[in-house]
Amino acid sequence: MSDKAADRRILGQITKGSLISGLQAKLSDNVDIEDVRIGTFAVVDGDRNRFFSLLKDVSLASTNEDILLTPPTDDFDRRVHLGVSTYYELSLQPMLVAEKDAPGATPLPSTTVPPHFSTVFEATPEDVEQVFGKVDEFHPSVGSPIFMNPTIPVCLDLRKLAMRSNALFGRSGCGKSVLARIILGYLMQTDAFVNLVFDMHNEFGWTATSEEGGSVDSLRKLLGQRVAIFTLDPKSPLYGHGQAYDFEVQVPLNEIRCSDMELLGAELALSQAQRETMYKLEERWGEKTWLARFLKLEPQEIEGAAEELGATNVETLKVLSRKLGRFKKLPFLKEAVSDDTVRRIRDYIGAGKHVVIQFGRYNDLLTYILVANILTRRLHEDYARDTDAARAEGREGPTPLIITIEEAHKFLDPSVAGSTVFGAIAREARKYRLVLFLIDQRPSGIDDEILSQVGTRIVGKLDDERDIDAALSGRPNQGTLKVLVNNMVERQFLLTGYALPMPVVIDAKEYGSFCKEMQATGGRVRGELERRKLELTGDDELEL
Amino acid sequence: MIDRIGEVIEASTTRFRAQREELDNPPAFGSFVKVPSGPDITSYAIVYNVYETSIDASRRPMAMGLTEEELKAQQPQIFEMIRLEFEAAIVGFKDQGGAVKAYLPPWPPRIHAFVGACGPEEVISLTEDLDFIRAINALPGLPTDELIAAAVRVAYQNRDCDAEFLVKAGQEIAIMLKEEYERARSILRRVGHVG
Repeated sequence: MSDKAADRRILGQITKGSLISGLQAKLSDNVDIEDVRIGTFAVVDGDRNRFFSLLKDVSLASTNEDILLTPPTDDFDRRVHLGVSTYYELSLQPMLVAEKDAPGATPLPSTTVPPHFSTVFEATPEDVEQVFGKVDEFHPSVGSPIFMNPTIPVCLDLRKLAMRSNALFGRSGCGKSVLARIILGYLMQTDAFVNLVFDMHNEFGWTATSEEGGSVDSLRKLLGQRVAIFTLDPKSPLYGHGQAYDFEVQVPLNEIRCSDMELLGAELALSQAQRETMYKLEERWGEKTWLARFLKLEPQEIEGAAEELGATNVETLKVLSRKLGRFKKLPFLKEAVSDDTVRRIRDYIGAGKHVVIQFGRYNDLLTYILVANILTRRLHEDYARDTDAARAEGREGPTPLIITIEEAHKFLDPSVAGSTVFGAIAREARKYRLVLFLIDQRPSGIDDEILSQVGTRIVGKLDDERDIDAALSGRPNQGTLKVLVNNMVERQFLLTGYALPMPVVIDAKEYGSFCKEMQATGGRVRGELERRKLELTGDDELEL
Repeated sequence: MIDRIGEVIEASTTRFRAQREELDNPPAFGSFVKVPSGPDITSYAIVYNVYETSIDASRRPMAMGLTEEELKAQQPQIFEMIRLEFEAAIVGFKDQGGAVKAYLPPWPPRIHAFVGACGPEEVISLTEDLDFIRAINALPGLPTDELIAAAVRVAYQNRDCDAEFLVKAGQEIAIMLKEEYERARSILRRVGHVG
């Protein structure tokens, strides 16, 4: 397709507006208002520059108030006044600008507006490419702009994505997990970063449940040995039939700190008195031994323990014992473990492999928060130490690690974000080569300060106004973006932030086509394909 | 040759008065007529007034209490004393090159020039440019609203009732009278009542 203006579909002409409030355009007479949709990617051709814009609103306008008082009654009257006394206005938000005579130039943020009566066009595939770039290993396509041909790619800059913590928000059923799998798949494929995924719902391992309820290939199947599966539940029906796990996660009780319990406060319904009692236990019995010792207490020993602790209510201790008793039912929590999970994770990621930690049947929030927090805290300590050491020695630090957590608001709630490792990672940005990929359906539950550190936000359909506000908080043109989010349907996502030159609403990539792409380039299958190709070239008579 | 329907008896740059030789078939209000205005120029005009009057200004007709048939039988000389005149406003012309313009010609028609009715092709080419509506609207002292509606109806009928033309003409009226929505509407109602 050429860039000639004649090939472009005209939407209207700019009539007024400003950079801050956006541009107004009169809709062309030959465009049907019912074909114009919010979120459309549009370009405005000024004299020298092309303004890449988002259509944020359409409105009905009239030249005369009187017509609104006595509206046309018959069809002839309506047709006469249409486009004469009444017309349609488009509201556009200019985002980026590039010189028209420099095809392929990188568009920059718009600092001015196009002149009066500039023509507004529907964006072409070339415009999308000029803004979002061409597909390559570090710029995979994650979907296409809404209302455009699904073959037109919107590319995500993975290097930029990996530089900051990122978030994927959306209510359940909006296609969040599928898009998360696609993005993680691309990140894993580059080998420039390593990923650690806390896979609460068992979707990032061998297989995942498709939107239709069937089973689809997931990351391990698509990327082969590059993805290692750690599990808390080796007896889960997830494994077997050639789908094995690589490592069984066991968490030693001596790793659990009182601060970890703070995160579980809501899950365990801990009162202030119970929390304080825990700190007292930790203080008296030692950071590494308090929990194991406490869990071993028989009911009749509790009174004695209360006496030992001094000024401790026996009833409080009893309730605490009952609540923490839930830990006894978790088989992966052990007093002594056969292998150190964190060291194994370091081994795998040191070898450039990605680790997916699956929870099997223990996919309750208590387990998830506890395990994710303990493992991440140790990893963070390791990474901080290694990065500092590397810096002191003037060499490159460990491979950048992206940690994916689901139900992120449970870790980053304002009451706990200040004290957890996840809050620290989000705030430190990339200092220790660790970033987060948050997946959540309740962004309003996440601390504002953490949200402000999120570099790239991918926002799917959200129902709650507070969630939409939180998901977009601090973004420029928040009003426009909010309108877009309000009008999205399932499998549509707003991408905004650091890894994108401008916000865009996409129809997410079909999972099937992602799988095909991965199979064409991915680990296990690629090896298989190469082997077959060798066979073929070695034996000309072999028929396919 | 003009198929004549009258003869100019009074003329100015913007309008003329013509007399019809017979009393039957007077030109319709809003109909398009043509008249030569100088060498190779034909002016086009719209009939805005038709009246019957006594040929002798000093003798006023009197009511006779008879039907037209009875009058024709009993007092046939009465019809000799009546003449039929019409007035038309000039809205355009055809120049020497044959191009039709929807504005005033350089000269008025000459007295005694013959006036003819415009054929469909002439009406179509004259009303192709919807400026004729503005030309009518600009005529002072005339029932312009009625005239616009009538002229548009005539132009529409000459186009074999092309609905698209009617909408375009209506839009021209709406644009012209955008500050006077109610007036535009009343004209449009009259325009819309066709067929």
